[in-house]
Amino acid sequence: MPGPSQTVSALRSLLAARFPEKTRRPCGSVPAAVRPIDDALGGGLPAGRLTELVSWAPSSGGQTVLAGLLAATQAARQRIALVDGSDGFAPGSVPEDLLRHLVWVRCRAPEEAFAAADILVRDGNYSVVVLDLRGCAERVLRRTPASTWYRLQRAAEGGSVAVLVQTQSLLVPAVPWRLILDTPLSLADAGAPREAVAERLIVRAERSHAPATEELAG
Amino acid sequence: MNYAVLSVPDFALHALRRSDPSLCGRAVALVAGEGRRARVTEASPEAKGVAPGLVSTLAMSRCPGIILRQREPGAEVEAHRLLVAAAFTLAPRVESTGSGCCTVDLRGSDPARTEALMRLRAAELAGAGLPLRIGAGATPLIASYAARCAEPVLIVADPGDFLAPLPLAFAGPTPEQEAVLRGWGIATLGGLTALPKAEVGRRMGSEGALLWERAAGEAARVLRLVEPAKSFAAEWDYEPPVESVEPLFFKLRRFAERVALELRGAGFVAEKLSLTLLLEDETDHRREFRLPEPGADVEGWLRILNGHLAAVRTEARVAGVRLVAAPARPPERQEGLFDTGLRDPASFWENLARVAAIVGDDRVGTPVPADTHRPDAFALQRPAESVEPAAVAPVHPPYGPTLRRFRPPWPVRVVCEAGSPARLEGGRLEGRVREARGPWRGSGDWWKPEAWALETWHVEMSAGGIYQLASTGDVWRVEGMLD
Repeated sequence: MPGPSQTVSALRSLLAARFPEKTRRPCGSVPAAVRPIDDALGGGLPAGRLTELVSWAPSSGGQTVLAGLLAATQAARQRIALVDGSDGFAPGSVPEDLLRHLVWVRCRAPEEAFAAADILVRDGNYSVVVLDLRGCAERVLRRTPASTWYRLQRAAEGGSVAVLVQTQSLLVPAVPWRLILDTPLSLADAGAPREAVAERLIVRAERSHAPATEELAG
Repeated sequence: MNYAVLSVPDFALHALRRSDPSLCGRAVALVAGEGRRARVTEASPEAKGVAPGLVSTLAMSRCPGIILRQREPGAEVEAHRLLVAAAFTLAPRVESTGSGCCTVDLRGSDPARTEALMRLRAAELAGAGLPLRIGAGATPLIASYAARCAEPVLIVADPGDFLAPLPLAFAGPTPEQEAVLRGWGIATLGGLTALPKAEVGRRMGSEGALLWERAAGEAARVLRLVEPAKSFAAEWDYEPPVESVEPLFFKLRRFAERVALELRGAGFVAEKLSLTLLLEDETDHRREFRLPEPGADVEGWLRILNGHLAAVRTEARVAGVRLVAAPARPPERQEGLFDTGLRDPASFWENLARVAAIVGDDRVGTPVPADTHRPDAFALQRPAESVEPAAVAPVHPPYGPTLRRFRPPWPVRVVCEAGSPARLEGGRLEGRVREARGPWRGSGDWWKPEAWALETWHVEMSAGGIYQLASTGDVWRVEGMLD
């Protein structure tokens, strides 16, 4: 009689055979060019999946991660979409060269952001879609039905786009990868090159399908 | 036109006819119930003198040779999937409203292109055995009324003119309401909406007010959206098993029509087809076909599949058939050696137009900083067709965390000590300043009415967080966070 581990293994194989689309592993990843993030994710943002990046503390580096993504996608000559839920992106704070491959959607409300992200994630021309919900009213975000998130996850699974959701609190249900930035930068960092600032970010992987990564300090 | 409704009249009957080649061109009726009590629910045009509600024995006497059949759930599922696939080729927000009916949210779509697509889909589905009717209008309800009148496509531009002559039955009154309104001499939707809504509500209650709203096409609702197909496969079990290839050819054509449409709706093409014949002796015959060029061309697929089937000999009868298409992104454009252009330009521009319809034309695009030192000055331009390689490394690489702006900036009162900010009060950001750096002074456009001059500071708060402050005279604002 097979032992419990063999039974579980057989059951997993059976489920993988019956529901290949549910057990499919993400194919490839998009490096964020921010070492602590890439280390936490084992190489970069997973394609075909949602990743939640929670900026728990103010000035904890969420926007620097976005700048890193702009640099990484430009270097790879890929296209990136930023769905900006609270219209907070500052084009002047990023070198002009890193903006030419960006499609920026300036939303006025989270509802607009969800509708725009739903369209862009399905597009197929972007390698990364960033849905930035920081600065949006927490009360409105909490009312977002779970089905909206599941729909976004299913949309991402159909393609090769990596979806990064930036939030201020834990928001996305059943997200495969969630990273938390909870250590504020200091004014001393303002005089350091941005690449060095990115290296210093402290990223905590709270919940992940990747091999255990408890805390990674840059 | 904000919404479209795709509807197939007598859906169950057409689904059955398209699944069984022996019913084509014959007088057919669907019946519900058993034996002599069975009544006709839907009848084909060839069944002269037969109408829904007729007892089956009477139907047989009125139309000798009529074929009476029960509904076929498997055929209806297959036909409905074809309908949903057609809906997804119009827009990505689709509701499976009911059997043989879909509602599509068209907001943001290009009207001329969408109308052309609607006519194309109606013609394609008619060829596939489903006489599709498509109505479009400002609300899902008006679109559904239009679908009932469409031949095969009807777009309602002026709801008032369209609704006025429609019979009252379109709004679905109860028999009691219909009797009351008939007594008032009202037989059309326009007749009802000519009355004040409040007065109708006062005399007929809240149900009467709802009927008035339906008559005016005003009843709004949230669509229950469905996901586009993720797996592109079709399967059918033959009962009894078949011995010749003709039923297989027929069924594979139906499968190919549906799967190709599902692929197109999801923005894919097929790069590989997999055909499986399930045999009566519980073995199977499998064959994979790598397509010469990835695509969703039904005739091309069928040439490959039928060519193979014509030469196949099996040991047992065929009890089932399965077709699976492996999806791939369409190679829409040949890229140059150093070019990284759009993978699917049509989809890219169409989706940008949809997003612009949601957020506004002036709020989507590629940002280009303006040629000025004025803070937050930029323009949004149309995105480039291709991603150019970065120029040489910038002379002044960026320093420090990246700014995230607060639009509009937060007003704040700043208490200064020794000429630099020491405490913030009276705004969304309050508390002691741990460290401040600045000021950086800027000014420009002094020769224009919109001249500007300000001082910028970076402050780190005791509670954490680095913020950018700007002052013009005594007025301070928090411009954003260094993040």
